[in-house]
This record gives sequence, C-alpha cells and structure tokens, in this order.
Amino acid sequence: MYPDVLNLYGDRGNVMCMQKRLEWRGIENTVTRLPIGSKANLADFDLVFIGGGQDFEQQVLLEDLHRGKDREILSAVEDGLPFLTICGGYQMMGNYYETYDGVRCDFIGAVDLYTIGSKQRMIGNYKYQCGPESGGSIVVGFENHSGQTFLGEGVQPLGKVLAGFGNNGQDGTEGVRYHNLFGTYSHGPLLPKNPALCDHILLTALRRKYGTAELAPLDDAAELAAHDEMAAKL
Amino acid sequence: MTIRAFFAILLCKLLRFASRVLHRGGTAMPGRFALKLCPDLLDLLACQVKTVTITGTNGKTTSARMIEEAFAEQGLSYLANRSGANLIDGITTEFVMNSTLFGKVKKDYAVIECDEAAARKVFPRLKPRVVVVTNLFRDQLDRYGEVTHTLENIREALKGAPEALLCLNADCSLTASLADDLPNKVRWFGIEKGAAPSREKPEISDATHCIRCKTEYEYDYISYGHLGGFRCPKCGYRRHKADYAVVDIVEQRPDGSDIVMEVGGEKQLVTVNLPAMYNIYNAAGAVAAVSEMGLGVKAAVDALAKFHCGFGRMETFDLAGGTRMMLVKNPAGCNQVIEYLQTMKEKFVLVICLNDRAADGRDISWIWDADFEGLRALAGRLDQVIVSGDRAEDMRVRIKYAGVDDSFIRVERDYETLVRSLEQETRPVCMMPTYTAMLELRQTVIRHCGGEEFWN
Repeated sequence: MYPDVLNLYGDRGNVMCMQKRLEWRGIENTVTRLPIGSKANLADFDLVFIGGGQDFEQQVLLEDLHRGKDREILSAVEDGLPFLTICGGYQMMGNYYETYDGVRCDFIGAVDLYTIGSKQRMIGNYKYQCGPESGGSIVVGFENHSGQTFLGEGVQPLGKVLAGFGNNGQDGTEGVRYHNLFGTYSHGPLLPKNPALCDHILLTALRRKYGTAELAPLDDAAELAAHDEMAAKL
Repeated sequence: MTIRAFFAILLCKLLRFASRVLHRGGTAMPGRFALKLCPDLLDLLACQVKTVTITGTNGKTTSARMIEEAFAEQGLSYLANRSGANLIDGITTEFVMNSTLFGKVKKDYAVIECDEAAARKVFPRLKPRVVVVTNLFRDQLDRYGEVTHTLENIREALKGAPEALLCLNADCSLTASLADDLPNKVRWFGIEKGAAPSREKPEISDATHCIRCKTEYEYDYISYGHLGGFRCPKCGYRRHKADYAVVDIVEQRPDGSDIVMEVGGEKQLVTVNLPAMYNIYNAAGAVAAVSEMGLGVKAAVDALAKFHCGFGRMETFDLAGGTRMMLVKNPAGCNQVIEYLQTMKEKFVLVICLNDRAADGRDISWIWDADFEGLRALAGRLDQVIVSGDRAEDMRVRIKYAGVDDSFIRVERDYETLVRSLEQETRPVCMMPTYTAMLELRQTVIRHCGGEEFWN
C-alpha cells in the first residue's frame, strides 16, 4: 500500500523477500501496488505491506487516508487481515502523531498506540526478540525515527529490545502485534536478514487463507550469515 | 591582513606539513584549527580569486574534475579541492596551501566541490561567481535527512551568494526549484526530449510530487530516476528549456559517449571520455560552468574529450583483464552503474564493496532500492560476483534476492587477498565500492598495479 510515497530506504526489499521465499517454495503470488488515489477492496488481499515515508508527502497521504481508507484499513485489521507496517506505516496505524511543538495529526486508530515527536533522533542498528506469538526469533534491523511510540494498556509489543531504542527508548518495547498486524520501526529491508520473522508472517497469511499451512525449509545460509554478523556486533 | 590570519595560515601550513610527513591524508584538521584561530580566514582568501563551486547529490567530483580539466587546458592558474575535503575545513586548508604566509592567494581561479550539507557555511564565504547544482537524489538519510531538507540547505546557502550565476539541472524538479525566490541569474543544462529513448517511470522515484503544490508530476520523458521532462498538471511548474542542451545522444560505449550539444543555437558534437548517462549530465553541467566562467564552450568541449576522472569514478587500472572502479553511494547512482554494466560485451567479474561507516551512511538499506535485478540480464557474461566490505554479507543477500545464484557469490573481506586473487584473473573486472570502501580498495589496487595517490 502507498508504494508511491511510503518507500523510504529499501522498504520494497520486504516485498521482494516475501515474493522470493514463496516462489522458492513453489507458492504462486502476485503483488498489487495500491498508490495514492487507488480504489481497491482490501478483503481481496491476503497480506498488506505498508512502509515508511518522508514528511514531504505526508499531507497528500493523510488526505487520501481520510477519504475513507482509514475506516477500510481499520476493519480489515479487526477482520484479521495480516499487515506488516514499518516506521511511518506503523505510526499511521495508531491513534495520532503529535509533533514536538504540539501539533496533532489524526491517524487510522486501528491499534491503540500513539506517537510523540521528540527532539532526539533514535537512529542506528538495533535488535529485538519477538514475543512467542510472533515466532520468538531475534530480529536485527536499522531504526531511524524521532517519534516515540507508546502502546495502550494491554497492547502487545512485537518484541523486547535487546540493543537500541525500539518504540520510545524508555520502556524496552519494540513495535506492535495486534491480531495479525505486525508493526515495527525496523525500516528498510527488515525481512531479508530475518528469514524466521518473514516465514512467520507468511505462515500467518497462509493459515488465514487455507486454514492450515506449512513452509518447507530453505537454504538460509546467506541470510543467516548477514543476520548473525549484525547480531554479534550489537 | 591581520596578525591573527598570519598565525592561522602558519598553523594550517605546519599542520598540513606534519600530517603529510606522518602519511596521513587528512586535509580537514589543519583548516579546522586555522578557522578556530581566525574565523574569517576563508573569506579573506576566497575574495582574491574567481571561484566556481559545484554541489548536489551525485556527480560533484566528476563535474569538478571536468571543469578543472578545461581550466588546465587553457593554462589558467587555479586551485581545486578533492572530494575528501569538501567541507569548510578541507576547503580552507586548500586555500591556505595555495597562498603565501601573508595571505596572498597565488592562483587566479578556484574550482571548489562543496558538500551539500556544508554549503550553508561555505557559499557565503566563497562568494562564488558560478555555482553548479548537479542534481538532488535521496542520499544517506541518517546524514542528510530527507532530500527536501538538502534542497532547503542549498537554497539557504545560495541566499548567501546572491551574485553567483547558477547552472542548474533543468531535468531535476528539485534542483530546478532553486530558481524560485532567489535573485540569482540562472542558466539551465539538461537533456532534451528525444535525445535518448524515454524510460519507464522507475518504481522508486525521489520526487514524485510537485515541490510547489504536491500534485503528482506528469512526464514528457524520463532520462533516468526522476530526471526528465516533468510538469505539474495543477500549478504549472515545469521543466525549463535548457540553455546548454544535449539534443542527441549519438552513441554510448563502454568507455565514453558521443553527444550533440546545442548552445546559443549552435550545435556541436561532443565526445565525453567517460561512459554512462549520468556523465552526460555531468558533462553538460561542466560545459555550462566553464562557458559561464568566461572561457567559452569550446574550451569545455575540448577538455571533455581528453578527460579522465580518477578517484574511483569510472577510474581504470591495469589489473586483471582491465579494471574499472565505479563509486556507488545511493540508489540513483548505483542504478546508473548497473546500467553501465549492461554495455560489457565479454565475460567479467564484478566486485561489490559495501561499507557502513559515517561517510558511507550507517544505514545500508538503500541497496534494496537500487535495481540489482539488472544483474540478471547479465547472465552468461557475469561469471562471478565477489562481495566485500564491512557489510559484505548484506550485499550477498541483496544479490541473492536479485536472482544471482548464491554459489556464484564469493565473500572476500580482505582487500589484499581480493586484489591478489584478481591478479591471476584474465577477464575484465568491474568494482563497485561505497565511499570509504573505495578509499581502501583503491589504495590496495594502487599498491599492486600503480595509479595516482589521492593527495598529490
């Protein structure tokens, strides 16, 4: 969704990664781009990816959202449609974003969380451990955000920060897991180096579609080498 | 000339001498201390020469070297900085090294490449005659922030140089917007419609929406990335016709391009002694700058035919069956290099070195925006990919997902071992290093087969 504006630094790598890992297992798939202004029924899809964006296009994006797409996304999330949302796309799923000087932007409100702009940028390589409901794997990524995200009462994070800032640099939480929505600050290519998380998300989508599903193991030597190398540095 | 300036110059020269003796290439440190001692030192020196400054995301160094070549061919006395010294400290060092102890600059001209984030500090002091802005692409978010921030940085910088004539890339909607609300005279350079086949709109564009009114642009043609014949259907913001116009691209070869440029109604054939589309833009910008500095178009055109860039920008080495080193630092530039690889006719070896140090950008996710999928079209010609650098494993994964069989990919971290193994190689080699990887790899290659040192 919104690949025309939410494509900051390598976001499409996640889509390429999911496609390849399905293809390598002989599972056919198609990717549909839903840019600003497109009209599509989210119920026709099995998995939705939303990346991060630049401030410059945010206004254009919000106008498009508030023309009804926000409600559509909200009900799709409630309906259990798997979403992978990253950075700006993740923040957008929450209730609102409040800038450092107090200007508030209303977001979708699909998940009970909100984001407050801070002066300090949280930037760098980081790692976190996913909760058991999200596969439990250790994820390495790169975060770059000035917004601090706080989860509402009882809302599950995606994982626990092992090194770096995560949601807000304070409570040790990273991202969110709500129904089948995965949200994280790990912008750029999260999935290629974290094949366990990628497969977990794919399985979530496949099981919702077919009831049961298994994924054959792949040769992940390259992926794990990249993962382990960064994990060891942190 | 104040006593303060005298001591600042003396200190700068001593520090520079010391760092050379110690074989440290550092050019920034001497200037930094000199400016601490005498904050207006650069102003005092720069006002004595006629300066052309080059900034923008991609192509600064190559454009500067093209301009420099024309100056050298004309026998002008000039000073120039190197890409590693394009912040205010390094630029100050360069001016000091070309002046007497009493602050008299010994040259008539200066060709100064300036980092886009440093421009705000540098331009008001340099008071350049001509400023070239090559283009603006998304680059190293962790260093520069969003591309519009970089644009505003340059706009602010130019407010400190209202006398400068601007040579702007007409095809870049971001760069072109600099002509708005600035009093400066502007000359445009660019590639006209029909000069080359228009491309499809790229999946990732760095400027999809109008910089003035945020409506999506329409394009008459695209030369690469977001460069081309843009226009906004709502507010009417659109590409200017170029004064220095590439009207035909006659031939693109692995070692250069023949183009036709039209300036002031006159057409001429120009040979650019460097391959790839982005160097055609660099050449057009250099022709504009040289001409607007008062040297005439011919001086620039003659220089382009003889020009060698060096410094890892399409630089060639006598290693293996011929080696070419092509600096990559962001998706737009990387895509151009991948496209260049398509002109390779025989089997070759590709070396990609990915670092994530401060000067490269800590965040390497840009490699997923670059179209490494283009490597698939090289099947049959591309025999082996060697990945190296601090983040070699990440590059390996990227190439794997681009469709290159993992068994073709070799990880070789040590440059010494890498270069030694290439000495046995008879096929040509193409190297794509990021900035800091280039510095190290280049040193190693030079140790084995000769070449020019960075700081001469």
